[in-house]
Amino acid sequence: MVCALEGSMWVGNLEKAARKAAAWLVNKTPIRSLRDWGIAFSLWPVHFTTACCGAEFGASAAPKFDTERFGFLPFIASRQCNVLFIEGTLSKKMAEAAIWVYEQMPDPKFVVAMGACGIDGGIFWNSYNIVRPKDILPVHVYIPGCPPRPEAVAQAIIMLQRKIRKGELVTYEV
Amino acid sequence: MSLEERELEVLIGPQHPASGHMRLVAKIDGDIVVELRPNIGYVHRSVEKLAEVKKYLQIIPLVERPSLADTTANNLAYVMAVEKLLGIEPPPRAQYLRTLLAEINRIHSHFYGMGIHGVMIGSSTAYMWCFGDREPLIELAQELTGARLTYSYIVPGGVRRDLPQGFEDKVERVMRYLENRMPDYFDIYFNNPVTRARLEGVGVLTKEDAIKLGVTGPNLRASGVPYDVRKAEPYAAYPELDFDVITEEAGDAFARVMVRVREIQESIKIIRQVLKNIPDGPILDEKYMKMIPPNLRKQVEETGHIKFPGVFANLRVPAGEAVARVEGGRGEVVFHIISDGKMSPYRMRMVTPSFRNVILFEHLTKGARVADIPAIYGSLDYFPPEADR
Ligand code: SF4
Repeated sequence: MVCALEGSMWVGNLEKAARKAAAWLVNKTPIRSLRDWGIAFSLWPVHFTTACCGAEFGASAAPKFDTERFGFLPFIASRQCNVLFIEGTLSKKMAEAAIWVYEQMPDPKFVVAMGACGIDGGIFWNSYNIVRPKDILPVHVYIPGCPPRPEAVAQAIIMLQRKIRKGELVTYEV
Repeated sequence: MSLEERELEVLIGPQHPASGHMRLVAKIDGDIVVELRPNIGYVHRSVEKLAEVKKYLQIIPLVERPSLADTTANNLAYVMAVEKLLGIEPPPRAQYLRTLLAEINRIHSHFYGMGIHGVMIGSSTAYMWCFGDREPLIELAQELTGARLTYSYIVPGGVRRDLPQGFEDKVERVMRYLENRMPDYFDIYFNNPVTRARLEGVGVLTKEDAIKLGVTGPNLRASGVPYDVRKAEPYAAYPELDFDVITEEAGDAFARVMVRVREIQESIKIIRQVLKNIPDGPILDEKYMKMIPPNLRKQVEETGHIKFPGVFANLRVPAGEAVARVEGGRGEVVFHIISDGKMSPYRMRMVTPSFRNVILFEHLTKGARVADIPAIYGSLDYFPPEADR
């Protein structure tokens, strides 16, 4: 593409150059910290219950523990969410659905695996019908416990926020 | 799709706004549900099969996991079946403590169900209130057993811990709080015109159908059938306690919620009686108490926390068959154990109330409106991991 600007002539792809400039700018310190700060406080987990840990996940969104104060608002539609919370065991049938949900979510997206089952199968480690989340999804934070207490869920959210604000998880590439 | 084809097939879930883990396959004609088939099995984790390779004591936490909101019922039913095989009868104090925990658990399990139902019909207040008021009860159970939800409190021959000091006063305070709190629920939620409009006359289950379909628990009692395992086949300390079986006549979604609310009040009554009448004495069967080494036994008597005798690790149960049933928060829980005298059962069968109630999805939604699906779904207090096991 060729552009003429007040007599001088620029040669190159303007759109590509603009995108490159934007990515450069967004990855530069002041804007980057602002961006990561914004992402860290708008973590919306998709409403996707996979097993019994959901009972404690529900309790952590309720008045006593109130994870909403971290900007953590369980939401219905996967296309408007950026956190996938694997609440416990993933059965083979559910794993398929988990991948679909993950693929529908917009970038940047994060995965948290909750419970001993989310780590390595937990009490069901030798069951014929389970899948370990780390085999099918990129998991960022694990929460140990069976079931983890709501405080542990809050701790995991804080850990995820810290990771994001350190700039480890989100990068924009051209 | 041609114009003649009026019916549309809609797949709802497994990721959907309700409490998840199942798919509903709905055939709809305009706003009317022609057929709704639940597609279950998303949380099947082969509990029954795993029980065949675990030792008897290791199975206790395993059977609790399927119904995390109502663990005591499964724990109690399983242990009762094992005790039948072992031929032991727990001491009276242990029976009362079991009843106490079962009733605390029933109350917070009902709150859980009502909270989820609230959020399904769009009332976040109900969710927040129910889950908030569930916490004091969980705190009580935590003080008694040491865990929030997975108590594993009941072991063959008795219970794991004695009453902590000053527990009665704390229970009384929570019970008084709940009693004062209940009217608020009626003001804000149950008598709310929106709630009434969405629940009354929706998903009506007649008495005949309820019996024919083999429905159980509060869903059965909401249709006017006074059947409760606590009365029909009394266990633990229930024969000595005075309580009523709650029934409602209407059989609709609202009646199912009302049964739960009134059962909470009934459970408060039971808990008070338990704490008043609880006898003194040991909390573990003598046979097992003797097996605890003498120096540890002194510690057990001082702290009230059982140190497990070594025999529990390799507990062998005589060959035979036993069935035990218990009324849990959601309905009747049945355990059938076949033992061949080894360290693990030959076969363990668990029948859970949610699985027996899942048939209602198809039955109640026929001809209902699409917007009524969540109202009916929530009112059944269906917990998928329990149904799928
Ligand atoms: S970690 Fe425990 S509570 Fe969580 S899903 Fe697994 S078995 Fe259930």
